[in-house]
Amino acid sequence: MKQPPHQLAMSEQLLLAIAEQIKLPLLQISSQAELALLRKTTDDDYGAAQIRVLATNALQLVDAYSLSLRLDHQFNSELAPETASVASILYDASSQLKDYAKLYNVQLELNIGGKFGPVLVHKKGLQSAIVGLASAFIEALPTQQHPNNRTIVQLATHRCRYGIVAGVYADIPGLNNETLRRGRKLYGNSRQPLVDVSHTGAAGIFIADAIFRAMRLRLQVSRHHRLYGLGVVLHPSSQMMLV
Amino acid sequence: MAKRQIDLLLIEPDRVFASSINGYLCENGYNVRHAYDAQAALVAADEARPDMVVCELQLVSHSGIEFLYEFRSYPDWRQVPVVIFSLVPPIEFASSGLGLSRDLAISCYLYKSATTMSMLLRELNFLSERA
Repeated sequence: MKQPPHQLAMSEQLLLAIAEQIKLPLLQISSQAELALLRKTTDDDYGAAQIRVLATNALQLVDAYSLSLRLDHQFNSELAPETASVASILYDASSQLKDYAKLYNVQLELNIGGKFGPVLVHKKGLQSAIVGLASAFIEALPTQQHPNNRTIVQLATHRCRYGIVAGVYADIPGLNNETLRRGRKLYGNSRQPLVDVSHTGAAGIFIADAIFRAMRLRLQVSRHHRLYGLGVVLHPSSQMMLV
Repeated sequence: MAKRQIDLLLIEPDRVFASSINGYLCENGYNVRHAYDAQAALVAADEARPDMVVCELQLVSHSGIEFLYEFRSYPDWRQVPVVIFSLVPPIEFASSGLGLSRDLAISCYLYKSATTMSMLLRELNFLSERA
């Protein structure tokens, strides 16, 4: 049965208002930089392109935060799960991320081989969560010690005993169950809840965590082809299986 | 008379931001060596013997404070001016109540959100002239 929407707390209302407000200047920065590139009114194309990519990524993060609140509080029925292909969602996420990865000199790879069939998921929610996770990994990767110089972030999917896993993977050995558990505890109280993984607050990871929680899914530590990562187990769409 | 080039060690975990600072300071006569974390910074300091250090406090694994305690424990590096250039608001740093600023001989604390590149350069120029 559909649950009635519940009210946001005062602090959440304020943060949501700020998030919505801050989208506009970010959009203005991004579009001004893009226009400068298109009109060739700048001598520093590289700088303008950097500004556009950074502002766009920040905008995506703010958008994901708003979405996490909306999903959690079921503001409208558009947020219901639907039948979707994990591969196409990861592909779309990688398109959103490719410029950001380039900026950080990180190689973004897509590993979506294999036939996994459709899953039942909120498409926009999964895509925003994957973009948030991958952005946090991309920012964190240059600070990790890489004996083989492997600065790769992989968006990947594989089958497991419980369903189909969609996740983000990289060479970050500090990422394990204990780190994530401690991070969840510290989140909101510490500037760096995942101190062995990221020099920032790793907001992308915790926003993804909130989005998945709102979707009744659980973000977990996962491995993929010797890479460490975070992923979520999705359930195949039984409706489509009948067809 | 030609101005002496200042060897500066920059400890900044964000690749994009580090590249911006690096470029700007190099354009203004600084010889910048960059490290992403505390461990790499100690190695770089050992190799490059910096005249000045610019350090973020929020680093992966070991914090900037841990780096500074280690850095200051060597007699050769006790007099090297250190500028904190951080996302951590100064009030949080001051309220830690440990008198860190005094213990670690921090020359200047710049809060990133309130500091422009030209302000950073001005501070560094001032410190290098004084040194």
